[in-house]
Amino acid sequence: MPQSPRRNQSVTQSDTVLALRGIHKSYGELDVLKGIDLTASRGDVIAMIGSSGSGKSTLLRCANLLETPQQGDIFFHGEQVKWHTKRHQRIPSDKHQVRRMRANLSMVFQQFNLWAHMTVLQNVIEAPQTVLKKDPDEARELGRQLLTKVGIGDKCDQYPSQLSGGQQQRAAIARALAMEPAAMLFDEPTSALDPELEAEVVRVIQTLAEEGRTMIIVTHDMKMAYDVATHVIFLHDGVIVEEGTPDQVFNNTRSARLKQFLQSSGTFG
Amino acid sequence: MEYCADPSTLEGLRWLACYLTTPKHQLFYLSFLTVFALLAITAPVVMIMGFGGAIARKSQIAPLRWLGTLYTSMVRGVPDIIFFLFVPIALDQLVEYARHKIKCPHITDPVYRGSEFIVCEAAKMPLSDSAAWVHNTWSFALAVIAFSLVFGAFAANTIFGALNAVPHSQLETARAFGLTEKQTFWRIHVPQMWTYALPGLSNLWMILIKATPLLFLLGIEDIVYWARELGGSKTGYFQYPHPDWRLWYFLALLVFYLLLTWLSGKIFNRLTSRYSLDHSSNPTKPLLKPIEAGR
Ligand SMILES: Nc1ncnc2c1ncn2[C@@H]1O[C@H](COP(=O)(O)OP(=O)(O)OP(=O)(O)O)[C@@H](O)[C@H]1O
Ligand SMILES: [Mg+2]
Repeated sequence: MPQSPRRNQSVTQSDTVLALRGIHKSYGELDVLKGIDLTASRGDVIAMIGSSGSGKSTLLRCANLLETPQQGDIFFHGEQVKWHTKRHQRIPSDKHQVRRMRANLSMVFQQFNLWAHMTVLQNVIEAPQTVLKKDPDEARELGRQLLTKVGIGDKCDQYPSQLSGGQQQRAAIARALAMEPAAMLFDEPTSALDPELEAEVVRVIQTLAEEGRTMIIVTHDMKMAYDVATHVIFLHDGVIVEEGTPDQVFNNTRSARLKQFLQSSGTFG
Repeated sequence: MEYCADPSTLEGLRWLACYLTTPKHQLFYLSFLTVFALLAITAPVVMIMGFGGAIARKSQIAPLRWLGTLYTSMVRGVPDIIFFLFVPIALDQLVEYARHKIKCPHITDPVYRGSEFIVCEAAKMPLSDSAAWVHNTWSFALAVIAFSLVFGAFAANTIFGALNAVPHSQLETARAFGLTEKQTFWRIHVPQMWTYALPGLSNLWMILIKATPLLFLLGIEDIVYWARELGGSKTGYFQYPHPDWRLWYFLALLVFYLLLTWLSGKIFNRLTSRYSLDHSSNPTKPLLKPIEAGR
């Protein structure tokens, strides 16, 4: 096994972008997350692995408050998310805070979710313009640059339905980058793609990792996790069963659960 | 007007030309404007009512939601024609009743006497000595309200369904990028809604066009009224006597409505391809083909 590329990791407290503490989330009777702690410092690339239904997407969605955890706290750059209770349900109390966080934690979805009524470039400049109030010309300029960077500079004026899956996902990554976010959240960015299209998206993510961007990536692609991540988290049944550097997690696996999971996922069998 | 001075001496084309330009015929042609006016006023009002109804029905505020639901479901179980007959009469009586209470407070007799609805002279709407155009405008206004109410409810149903048809993930993505609820609604939800709403709205527009002869039923001198009036057989007592020509007059109306709906269909096809969310092929051509073929 080759060593995964490691970056200089001088993690001080002020470098913490996102911290989750004791996150609990249940849907009715079903406890999906049972007390999760996670810290993403600047430059961290955290790969989250685990079997289907283990709660990976739910955790990611809690991180940018698309879901509200019933217990636990979320800190963004040290700022704690404020809550209040409404009809026995805890919800965030400060809408501005929520939007500020979301604008800083750009999400890339498994199904791309490009806005279907907009061209690729319009998709990329939408949130910078409406949310960040960026100057239209500047936004377009940056948008074109980013689309070129992910290799689809020639597709600016196409509609999402005219692009291949891999191109759509790269456009979605450009859209996330255009927010100049503090961290990016990827939810299985390559799972909906054919292997050859998958490679082009992995390449883009790899470039972003090399630039030192903070990312949390939920993935079934163990090779990408190994190559790209600085830290790997194995989630099982709503708890973190094992975590560590890719080397620790993949080459010196401790828990039987993870061994079993890695075996069944094939890559490191 | 020397040309048509003595109709009894006219013949052939000249007779026809003079016949088709009589003052009554000019009223007939003007009554087409009544139809267009009805459409032009009703359509935007219907869209506003439709939007309002759909948004009310989706509202977080319970009473507003009930109101929206009540409004959109009221048209479901009742034939339109009942509404068209009911609403103008009900509105008319409501207004007259209110005016009666305000203008003639001294009259203590009930307004319903036996089977009759009787209000004081001053409360009549419009006043019985008003000019004919006031009467016509009043009944036209009542008709517009009736059309707007009924079609607004239909439109609200269509728009409500279309709003629900937009994939949730599209809206959630907007929120995930920090857009407010309002921005998400106007920038993502509504633009995508059109794709799903247009087939229904197109259908509704056709029904609206085809419902315009109901004006006749409401006692308005519309194209149907004049077609019957002018088409009926005219004895020698008239300047331009002729046998029963209603068939030809109604044929003209038929052609008029066909042209109108055909043109509308073409415009809606344009809109449909413009608001289509599937840009993977060029949808303009296949969409226009069936109509070209039907010509
Ligand atoms: N909105 C919801 N309502 C009810 N149950 C839900 C909801 N969202 C997720 N769940 C449940 O929570 C559990 C965890 O779901 P989650 O999507 O987080 O899993 P995952 O680890 O991302 O799985 P996958 O690898 O298949 O994406 C599943 O059992 C799922 O059925
Ligand atoms: Mg998932």
